[in-house]
Amino acid sequence: MTLLALVFLLAFLPAESASSRYLPKAASSPVFGPRQVYGLLNGSVSVKCFYPPTSVNRHDRKYWCKESGKSCMTVVSTNGYVAPGYKGRVSITDYPLAKNFQIDISKLDMADAGAYQCGIGINGRGLSHKVSLDVSEGPHVPEGAELFYVKLHSSLTMSCSFGEEYASERKYLCKMEKSGCHNIVNSYGQIDEDYVGRILLNHEDTPGSFSVMITHIDWEDSGLYLCGAGTYGENGETKELDVHVYEETKVPQGKPTLFGVKGSSVTFECHYKPLKKSSVKYWCKWRQNGCAKIIDNSGFVSPLYEGRVAMYDNPENNTYIVILNQLKDSDKGYYWCMTDEEKEQQSSTELKIVEGEPQLMGKMEVEAQVGSRVDLSCSYSCKYYSYQKYWCKWSSTSCTPMPASDQGQTGPDVTCEVENKTVILSFDSVAKTDEGWYWCGVKRNGIFGETMAVYLQVTEGDNAEAPSRAEAPSRAEAPSRAEAPSRAEAGVIPQGKPESNAGVRSAAASGSSDESHGPNTLVLTLAPVGAVLLILMAAFAVFKYRQLKRSDLVSIGSYRTNISMSDFESVKEYSASNNACMKESQETEIGGDEFIATEVTQESAAETKKAKRSSKEDADIAYSAFLLTSNSIAQGGSGGDSAAPSVPPANWEGQI
Amino acid sequence: VSLPDPGMASPVLTGYPRDPEDKEYVLVNNKCQCVTVTSKFVPSKENPDEEILERNIRILVPLKARENISDPLSPLRTNFVYRMTELCKKCDPVEIELGGEIYQAQQSTSCNEPETCYTYDRDKCYTSTVPFLYHGETKQIQAVLTPASCYAD
Repeated sequence: MTLLALVFLLAFLPAESASSRYLPKAASSPVFGPRQVYGLLNGSVSVKCFYPPTSVNRHDRKYWCKESGKSCMTVVSTNGYVAPGYKGRVSITDYPLAKNFQIDISKLDMADAGAYQCGIGINGRGLSHKVSLDVSEGPHVPEGAELFYVKLHSSLTMSCSFGEEYASERKYLCKMEKSGCHNIVNSYGQIDEDYVGRILLNHEDTPGSFSVMITHIDWEDSGLYLCGAGTYGENGETKELDVHVYEETKVPQGKPTLFGVKGSSVTFECHYKPLKKSSVKYWCKWRQNGCAKIIDNSGFVSPLYEGRVAMYDNPENNTYIVILNQLKDSDKGYYWCMTDEEKEQQSSTELKIVEGEPQLMGKMEVEAQVGSRVDLSCSYSCKYYSYQKYWCKWSSTSCTPMPASDQGQTGPDVTCEVENKTVILSFDSVAKTDEGWYWCGVKRNGIFGETMAVYLQVTEGDNAEAPSRAEAPSRAEAPSRAEAPSRAEAGVIPQGKPESNAGVRSAAASGSSDESHGPNTLVLTLAPVGAVLLILMAAFAVFKYRQLKRSDLVSIGSYRTNISMSDFESVKEYSASNNACMKESQETEIGGDEFIATEVTQESAAETKKAKRSSKEDADIAYSAFLLTSNSIAQGGSGGDSAAPSVPPANWEGQI
Repeated sequence: VSLPDPGMASPVLTGYPRDPEDKEYVLVNNKCQCVTVTSKFVPSKENPDEEILERNIRILVPLKARENISDPLSPLRTNFVYRMTELCKKCDPVEIELGGEIYQAQQSTSCNEPETCYTYDRDKCYTSTVPFLYHGETKQIQAVLTPASCYAD
């Protein structure tokens, strides 16, 4: 029963990999472009290369070079250089605001086919992307993949259309991996576990087309995707999508996870692009088969959330905020901020519910007779001493502020006594129209903070029945409470429900205080609990063992190093010789080129390999020893390099 | 003996974590000393069934660098020191969650010590004063060593 369920739950818990905190190696090359470009003989081709729009990148030199051996010969660059064989048929244009630069080559020749690189800065330094150019006779040329250059933590929308005949076919998006195409999301509702909560598949209006939205893009999302209709490998059509993730600043941006205290409230922030101010904006909760709308800016509020949610627009910042209060455990999940038109600016936040104490307390349900005087009170903790407090009446369009008095803010006094901290909303003579939800909240610098909701019920007639109505289940109110001395109109307050502003109600929302076990039942519950704990510990130990196997622990006892430094390959092509006969056939490099190392094993490497390292200091000593020995080897001459041209090897120090 | 219903078995299988492909992860990417350390799991040479952690350390030694990279007139640097402990320090703040609030924390101590750099960091602007002779007057002028990094926008 519960035992089995608990064990099963543990088995499903994904092992938190320590490696998820490190960037994958693919992340280190921020320049992105097509992998393969196809061109027709005598035709033209256009290559777009993307780069992170930092200030350096926008101003630095952009180049397109053809790979030859270990180096890359510049064909065209933004410094104004064009290689001799390409004059008049190649151009390079930088679009810094669009984060890319474009290379256009026309009158393609068969000799133009080969491996190229588009990059930034200096050739061969690694800030580049390899492109393979293929020139064929034709007549048909395969279409390359559609490129998506996405910022880390932002969202991505990819749309695919296949024509009317595929209108009723299964639609899917899969990611290409070594073992085939792994399904990410499809129209049958199957979603890969890494994408739960952050992916949505929408069918477009035109038949046969659909779009996929992914938020909180992470490094792992880079790669080649296929969107298609039908079944992969069997039938249907597919389209290739190449996604690359880049990072612009090191500062982590956005808060993908919000933590809400049970019983309290949480504020979500949604950004939108300024142009679409008038469009419909809505906020919804992610579900397996779509996103369930909760509130939108046209006044719609889902009936399940009546009185719990409000939306405030802030056009100056291009944001709108959504406040959700009376949080319960079932509120946890993913919430999306959507707009009807703008496809790009969808964002999502994960909400997690934690235990804690709400900082605004008060009675959740108040009953009053028509015509009587009612005070709705809200006690705030000292944390909100300097905040602006307000009461407002909730409606499905907004929460309209109401004048309220703050008992606490009397003078410029520094101490904060909890007894006086209340905000009271008074009704001299309450009417039936005043019935509804009221919110007490705090605000600072225009930013909305915590809120608390109270429902005011107005009953007809003189007999206020004072029903023994169950209070909100999370609050166990003590039946006897003394009235606050500052309240003068004690007599008119409806009986049976004494209000109290005094004291901080222990808002420990867990109703554990109400439980009372007899000694017999205590023993009965302890025994199976102990057995469950034992099983849990065993399962946990098995799990930790599995996780250990894959973890990043390195035993210090036997530190096996395989350092093999190598010769330096001379870079003869760029030697700045004073040869007046040398034609200007290459672009002069500013700053020189790096020495590309080749793998050569050394005899002295064997010694260090066998040595046992007992501590980090030993490893450091081995390092510096190695640097010294390899330095002397390099000075001695490059023995094994067959490609060394005529210039003697010792000359490389004085070049350029 | 009744076999478990395959329809029942599939939820268990799909819930199982997918084995990640052999990926290489970047542990250190030090722009100042131009060192990258990456690691990945490889099958052990002695025992192919066992996987061991392989670390690749890539050091690019700038042989034409000056002792002080901000001063082009200082002598050529001939002494390059690389310490794994310093390279593996994590001084960038990370976000952690404590009691419902998110804080930024630094993971290593002794992050305030200045480090000598062997190469230029692309995102920083390096300048040097140059004696400039103009109309017979020698002025000290700020000259830029890395032009692309020094734009105001």
